[in-house]
Amino acid sequence: MFGFTGLLLAVVFIMYIVAKTLGGFSSAQNITFIWGLPVSSAFFASLVFGHFSTNASGSSYLTLPASHFEKWLCGILIAGIAYPIIFLLFFRIVDSSFVALFHNSLDTASPFYKEQYDSVYIFDFNGVLAWRVYPLFFLLTGMTLVGSLYFNKIAFIKVAISLCILWLGILGINYVIAKILFENMTDAAPFNHVAIAVGKEEASIELPGWTGKIFAYGLGFVLPAILWLLSFTRLREKEF
Amino acid sequence: MSFGYNKKKLLYKDLSLTLTPGSIYGLLGKNGAGKSTLLKNLTGLLFPTSGSITVNSFSPKKRLPSFLEMIYLIPEEVYVPSLTIHQYKNLFAPFYPHFDSEKFFSYLEQLDVKEQGKLNTLSFGQQKKFIIAFALACNTKILLLDEPTNGLDIPSKIRFRKLISSVFTEDRMIFISTHQIRDLDNLIDRVIIVDNGELLLHASIATIGEKLCFKNVAELTGIDNVLYSEDSLKGFAVVAENKHGEESKVNLEQLFNAVTENPQMAKAIFKN
Repeated sequence: MFGFTGLLLAVVFIMYIVAKTLGGFSSAQNITFIWGLPVSSAFFASLVFGHFSTNASGSSYLTLPASHFEKWLCGILIAGIAYPIIFLLFFRIVDSSFVALFHNSLDTASPFYKEQYDSVYIFDFNGVLAWRVYPLFFLLTGMTLVGSLYFNKIAFIKVAISLCILWLGILGINYVIAKILFENMTDAAPFNHVAIAVGKEEASIELPGWTGKIFAYGLGFVLPAILWLLSFTRLREKEF
Repeated sequence: MSFGYNKKKLLYKDLSLTLTPGSIYGLLGKNGAGKSTLLKNLTGLLFPTSGSITVNSFSPKKRLPSFLEMIYLIPEEVYVPSLTIHQYKNLFAPFYPHFDSEKFFSYLEQLDVKEQGKLNTLSFGQQKKFIIAFALACNTKILLLDEPTNGLDIPSKIRFRKLISSVFTEDRMIFISTHQIRDLDNLIDRVIIVDNGELLLHASIATIGEKLCFKNVAELTGIDNVLYSEDSLKGFAVVAENKHGEESKVNLEQLFNAVTENPQMAKAIFKN
């Protein structure tokens, strides 16, 4: 498990460097955070609950004298709390190191020093992007936890394929419904974006504030909470 | 209880079985007869489709820690994580309140398992012997072994049999499932035979010796109620109803063939 954690963090590190080289600091921070936190956490959750996805190891852990809740809680603490904290710490160290290196490399005598200095800053864990990624982390991790307990063997790949099918299905259904409701629709994406043609222009239809919040909180926090709890129920019912 | 992987096609239908401590049971059956399935139902790894199983007043299905502390299943395909022997013991032994560390290392020595790095790098046979040693050291009241001799070499099979005999106590129940019937010779004292999801025989070795006789004869004529016969060097090896109180040694392989080939006759003999 320590080796796998190290491997994931190494991938995150490489991703940061590649993205920084190709697109600069902002790209590096955004791409690494968006892909790093939800996806690597999902990989990690898959590894932790993957112990229940094969006959031999699953039988071994299910017959270990501990309650279902204790087993589930261990998995949640490792995959849902410990790993994200490690990721965030690692991300902060890498990000602040590179940002500091950049700041130190600047010529303090340059007339553009302040401008250049201010153009690069440490990623804000409390920013808008971060708060869009956190729900994605909860959702993906929840799906992986449940998937690892529903599928036997190569659960992560099966979860990934199921997610793709589910997402394409939702996109399709959403598009068809939007097409039925709006004659001049030009684009629609789940669950809060519909664009319509108004003359030669394109306009976006926005949900009333409270409806949008219901979807945002529902998808971001309620659905993941249900999935995380569902993994506990599934663990209790797991058979081999 | 009844059980089936598919609700429409039951593997066991209305199976009724009572197992008592103080015995080493041998569960015999062909491949796919449902031996492992029965063990998994007893451990709570599978749930009965209907009916119930009670083990020392616990329902295995709930998999309560107090239940799991008193039962240990050694599956046919064992799992060992990437840990050394000591790391494994330190991590998993605390879950078993009666775990005996001294005996654990003694069993490992008897089974010739040496500390050779991570457990998952050992051969399958070594891994299996390690798990057997650990399971025995857990001192659980119930020990279930699914095809324990699979993957063991001949000296290890002998050591295994000696070890099982030595750890057996009157308050313990050991339940061994196998299709390698010879491995259980002189080890078990009760036999259970299942076939096609049906319980064909459940009797002690003593009762089997009373009800059946196992002998070699030159000719088959003149022997009543023959359940099974096979060619042997000096004629025929025969399993027949023991009508005259003859004493003979129970041959498990012949018994198994006799019962599976003539289930109705066997049931009739053991009914009284």
